[in-house]
Amino acid sequence: MARKHVKISSRMLFTWFMLGGLILLFAPQNWTNKFQFVFTRLFGWPLSISRAVSLSVRARQMSGDVVSRGEYDRLQNHLANVMEELSQERRKVEALSGLHSRPALEGAKFVLADIITNSVGGLNKTFIINRGQSDGLAKDQLVLGDNSIIGTISEVSSRTAEVRLITDSASNMAVNIGELNVNRVMEGDGRDSAKVRMLSIKHQVKAGDNVYACKKAGFLDTPFIVGEVAQCKRDDENPSLWDITVRPACNIDGLNGVVVLIMNPQN
Amino acid sequence: MQWFRFAGIVIVVMLLQAGLVDVVAIASIKFDLLLILLVFFAVYCSASDAIITSFAIGFAADVIGSAIGPQTISFGLFGTLLACLNSIIAVRRMPYQSLVIAVVSLLSGTSALLLTFLKGQPTPPNAFLILLGTSLYSAAVGPYLFLPLLWLTNVRTHHFYRR
Repeated sequence: MARKHVKISSRMLFTWFMLGGLILLFAPQNWTNKFQFVFTRLFGWPLSISRAVSLSVRARQMSGDVVSRGEYDRLQNHLANVMEELSQERRKVEALSGLHSRPALEGAKFVLADIITNSVGGLNKTFIINRGQSDGLAKDQLVLGDNSIIGTISEVSSRTAEVRLITDSASNMAVNIGELNVNRVMEGDGRDSAKVRMLSIKHQVKAGDNVYACKKAGFLDTPFIVGEVAQCKRDDENPSLWDITVRPACNIDGLNGVVVLIMNPQN
Repeated sequence: MQWFRFAGIVIVVMLLQAGLVDVVAIASIKFDLLLILLVFFAVYCSASDAIITSFAIGFAADVIGSAIGPQTISFGLFGTLLACLNSIIAVRRMPYQSLVIAVVSLLSGTSALLLTFLKGQPTPPNAFLILLGTSLYSAAVGPYLFLPLLWLTNVRTHHFYRR
């Protein structure tokens, strides 16, 4: 039997596709994200290879100290975390001498994950990792790279998750700078750094001071290094406040894998 | 139009754009292979094929991007407009192809940014600067990629006039 040939006009075709596009645009983000997760799951292997190739080429283009620099960053961050934890413990010992307290990260679970792909638009600072709900991941958990916090889980599916970096313009995180005992919100600037504002100039802040993420119930039980102050100047709009630029504590672009911190793992 | 071949090319280009294009990034600015592909199909295919390929490539750009929808609509709209325009004015010489890539990139990028904002997704403060850089870079590279694409897609270039 001859098949009936249906001819659709270009105008009709355009209308239907535009309607489809509008449905996709206004559909909830957690539904439409599934397309991205399915793509990364199907093509995870070639995506990982192409990312590894681009990383190795970039590393070759840079000077020969890339490997040692990464190691240096990792150890520096570890040292900063240990020093901060130590000073916290000292303060506790001074206040509650004689009482026992458990180490802050005791019982926490660290899930190693590989970065599958970056968001390619270059506009958003996000990437997708090959771990998901089945590995115990949940939204808002903190993500570490080279012993420092680099972002949070923003979306999660069963086998993959999206990480929003601290430099993304939608990222905000409570932080504490150096020895100051004042919490402020750090917001990503959409480039390669983050900003801390609303801090009075009466507080002493200088370039090179470490910036720590504050404790967050269920997600972080001890301050953890996020970055260091790259620039500190008076705010243009309000000169009584600092405009602080924070540089991440590690080279995020050079990371191959990350660690997700699960403070209260479900057995 | 050979649709299986088209699907294969789009998937390969998605994988390249998602990783390997970083290698040739200049100051974190990369060219947009999917946009070059969009202009190629809009210039060399029939109007109805150009509409389908524009929306499909837009959807592919969304899948490897940050949100689903903005690029589908922007690429679809400007790919269709380019296909309509191409039935009146031929875009065959390399300088014109560069110009078309730059203009389509700027227009579709601006529209995608506005739609992303409308969707409630964050847009960084330097987005327009990145867009400008991407447009210029794509315009410089694009016409040179048309030759291998012509060979890969087996498009008959002597057909210019459309009904």
